[in-house]
Amino acid sequence: MKNDPFRRGNVIMIGFMVLALAIVGRMIAIQTSVSAQAIDEIGKQNSYVYKKIQPERGNIYDRWGHLLAGNTEVYEVNVDTRYVRNADTIASTAASMLDLDYDKVYFNITGTEENPPANTVFLKSYVSADTINQIAERKAKYAENYKDSSSPSLQGLVWKPYLIRSYPEKSLASNILGFYKFRDLDKGAGFFGVEEKYNDLLSGTEMTVLVPRDPYEAEKLPDAAPGASLVLTIDREIQAMAEKEADKAMADTGAKSATIIIADPETGELLAIANTPRMDLNQYWNADQVYQSALDFDRAISTTYEPGSVFKVITMASALDAGVVTPTTSFLDTGVINVGGVNFNNWDGGAWGPQDMTGCMRHSLNVCLSWVAVQLGPSKFYEYLDRFGIGHRTNVDLSGESLYPLALPGDDNWYLPNLAANSFGQALAVTPMQMIMAISAVANDGKMMPPHVLKAVIDDGRQYNNNPQMVGMPISEKTADTLTLMLEDSLVQESSSALVEGYRVAGKTGTAEIPTEYGYTSSSTNASFVGWGPVSDPKFIIYIWLEEPQSDIWGSVVAAPVFSEVASKLVVLMNLPPDAGQQELAGQ
Amino acid sequence: MEIANRTIQAYRQAPWRQQLQWGGMFLLVLVAGLLIAGVYLNISAQAATAGLETQDLSEKKEETLRAIANNRTKLAQLTSQAEMEKRAAELGFVDATREDTAYLVVEGYGGRQPIVLAPTQRQITIEHTLIKPVYTQSLWEWMFQGVLSFSETNTAGGQ
Repeated sequence: MKNDPFRRGNVIMIGFMVLALAIVGRMIAIQTSVSAQAIDEIGKQNSYVYKKIQPERGNIYDRWGHLLAGNTEVYEVNVDTRYVRNADTIASTAASMLDLDYDKVYFNITGTEENPPANTVFLKSYVSADTINQIAERKAKYAENYKDSSSPSLQGLVWKPYLIRSYPEKSLASNILGFYKFRDLDKGAGFFGVEEKYNDLLSGTEMTVLVPRDPYEAEKLPDAAPGASLVLTIDREIQAMAEKEADKAMADTGAKSATIIIADPETGELLAIANTPRMDLNQYWNADQVYQSALDFDRAISTTYEPGSVFKVITMASALDAGVVTPTTSFLDTGVINVGGVNFNNWDGGAWGPQDMTGCMRHSLNVCLSWVAVQLGPSKFYEYLDRFGIGHRTNVDLSGESLYPLALPGDDNWYLPNLAANSFGQALAVTPMQMIMAISAVANDGKMMPPHVLKAVIDDGRQYNNNPQMVGMPISEKTADTLTLMLEDSLVQESSSALVEGYRVAGKTGTAEIPTEYGYTSSSTNASFVGWGPVSDPKFIIYIWLEEPQSDIWGSVVAAPVFSEVASKLVVLMNLPPDAGQQELAGQ
Repeated sequence: MEIANRTIQAYRQAPWRQQLQWGGMFLLVLVAGLLIAGVYLNISAQAATAGLETQDLSEKKEETLRAIANNRTKLAQLTSQAEMEKRAAELGFVDATREDTAYLVVEGYGGRQPIVLAPTQRQITIEHTLIKPVYTQSLWEWMFQGVLSFSETNTAGGQ
C-alpha cells in the first residue's frame, strides 16, 4: 500500500483542490471585506476620468446665411517635462514661434534640484492653427533627422485644441451681436446684443462628466449637443451700407455720434442698426477704450434722448385717430401759445398765420402741435402715448435696452406745460428704437409690430422660425394712411432734401434742444429724421439720429439728406422698383 | 451477470483503469473549459478592440467638428462683406445705383427667398445600436440567446 502510486496521486489532487478552494475563499473574503467598498471606489476612480465638455457655441447668421459669429480652432501649448529630451530646443522654439521669454521657459522646464519642474508646464494659450502647424512640422523634422539624446528635439512639447468665438465680419454689426468673452474659459459669457440676450440658447449645456477608460464601456462616452444657432433678421449688405452712411454723416456734420435704424414696418424685422463707434469684436477687451460707457455700445437701444419734432408724428396720429382734428382743420398760428402758465414758441420764433394740419406738420410748428395736444387733453394724449409704447421698453431682443420713465399726469414731476412740450418731443426721453417702433404703426396701416432681430433658431438639426405677433394697433388704418399722405405731401411741398427720386416717401424731421442742468440753454441739438416708403406699400422705415451736429443744428439740413442717401441705396439693395416702375410692372 | 462480474474483476485486477477514466473525465472538463475560455477571450479581445476604435472615433469626431467650425469661420472671413467689396473693387465693379438699375418681370420668380439652414420638419431618426450586441453581451447571454434563436428557428420550421 505504501508504494501505491494512485494514492499519492489522490493526495496531490486533494492538495490542489484545497489550494484552489483557498484561492476562491480568499477572493470571496476580499470581495466581502470591510475595505472592499473603498477598494472598489479606488478602482472606479482610476477607471474613469473627469472631463469638462463645453459644447460648441452656436453660430449667428444674417438673414441670408452669412456667418456673423462662429468659432475658430486655437491651441494651448504645454510641455510635458517627463518626456523632454532637449530643453534648449523647446525654449528656443517657444521664444521664436510663441514669442515667449527663452530664460523663463528654460527655467520652468528644467527646474532646479531643490525645485524640480512640474510634470506639465504651461506655455501659451490661443495659439493659432498656423503656428501649431509650423511647430508640428519642426517637431517631426527633428524627430526624423536627429536621433541621439543631445541633438535638437521638441519631444515633450504638446498642444491641445479648443474652440474660441470668432467674428469674421470684425466690427460689422458689433452693436447688434455683442461679444462672448472667450478668454475667460471657465466663466465665459455673452455681453451685450444677441450674444447676451440669447446666451443660454447659444451656449448649450456645459457639463462635467466621467469618461470611462475601459474600452468595454466605450458606448457610455458622453455626447454634448452644440448650442443652438441663430438666424438674424439683419441683412449684412444693408448693415454695411448703413454703417458707412453713419460714418459719413458723422464726418460731414461733425456730430458726436450717429445712429441709423432700418426696419421692415410690416413685420418689425430690423434690417440694420448702425451706430458709432463700433469695435472689432475679436478684440473685445478693447471695449473700454472704444466706449465711454456701456450705454454707448448700442445707442439705438441704450441711449435715451429728447427726440424733438419727429415726435409730432405720434401727436398728430393720436389727434387724427381721436377725431380731434382732420388734415384740413385750420389753425391760426400767432407764434406763441400759453399752456399751464408757460409760453411756447415755434422753432424759428415766428408766427406762421393760418395753417391746416398738413401745414402744421410741414412747417413743424410747435405752437400748432401744442394746441393739438391741448385739444386732445392730457388723458387722451397720454393714453395714446401708452398705446404707441412710449414709456415702455420695446422688448427688442437685444441686451441692454434702456427706459426713461415718462412723467404722467398725477406724477410729482408732471405739470400741465409738459403736455405742450411732450407734443413736440421735448421734456421726455426715448430711445431711437422706441421711436421707430411707435412710428412704424403709421407706416403699417396702424399695426405696431415688435422690433426684433431673431428670425430663426436652429437647434438639433431643425429650424424654428420666429413669427412675432402684433404688439397693438394704436391707430386705425385710415388714420395711418391719412397721416402718411400728409407727411408725403409735407416733404414734396417743402422740396425736402429727404426725397428719393422715383419713390414716394413720407417722413418728418426733428430738431431737439438738449437740456442742461439749467434748462434748455445749450445751443447744441439732436437732429433726427424718420421716414418710410414706398408710400403705396411701405417696405422700409428708417430712423436717423445725429447727436450734436456741428455743421448745422437743424434736422432738415443734416438728417434729412442722410435719409435720402440711405433710402436711395436701400431700394437697390432691397430690389424695390420705383413707383412708376411698379405700375409698369403691375401692368405687365 | 457474467459480464458485470468480469468487469468488476477487471477493475479489481487493474485499478489504474478507474484512475484513467477519472483522468479522462478531468481532461474532458479541462479541454471544454479551455475552449470556453478561448471563445470568451476572443470575444473579449474583439470587444476591447471595438471599444478602443470607438474611443478613437469619438476623438476623431471631435476633431472633425472642430475642423468644420474652423473652416466655416475661415470661409466666412474670406467672403466677409469687406473682403468681397475689396475684391469686387479690384475687379472693376462699382455699386449699382438707383439710376442704373432696371427691373424686369420674370415669370415664376418670386424674388430672393429667406435662408433655410436646416429642415423645419424633424428628420426621421432610426434608432439603432452602434455596437453590435455580440460585443457587449456576456457569454451566458450569448449562449442563451443562441439556444433561444435555435429553438425559434426549429419551431418556425416545423409549422
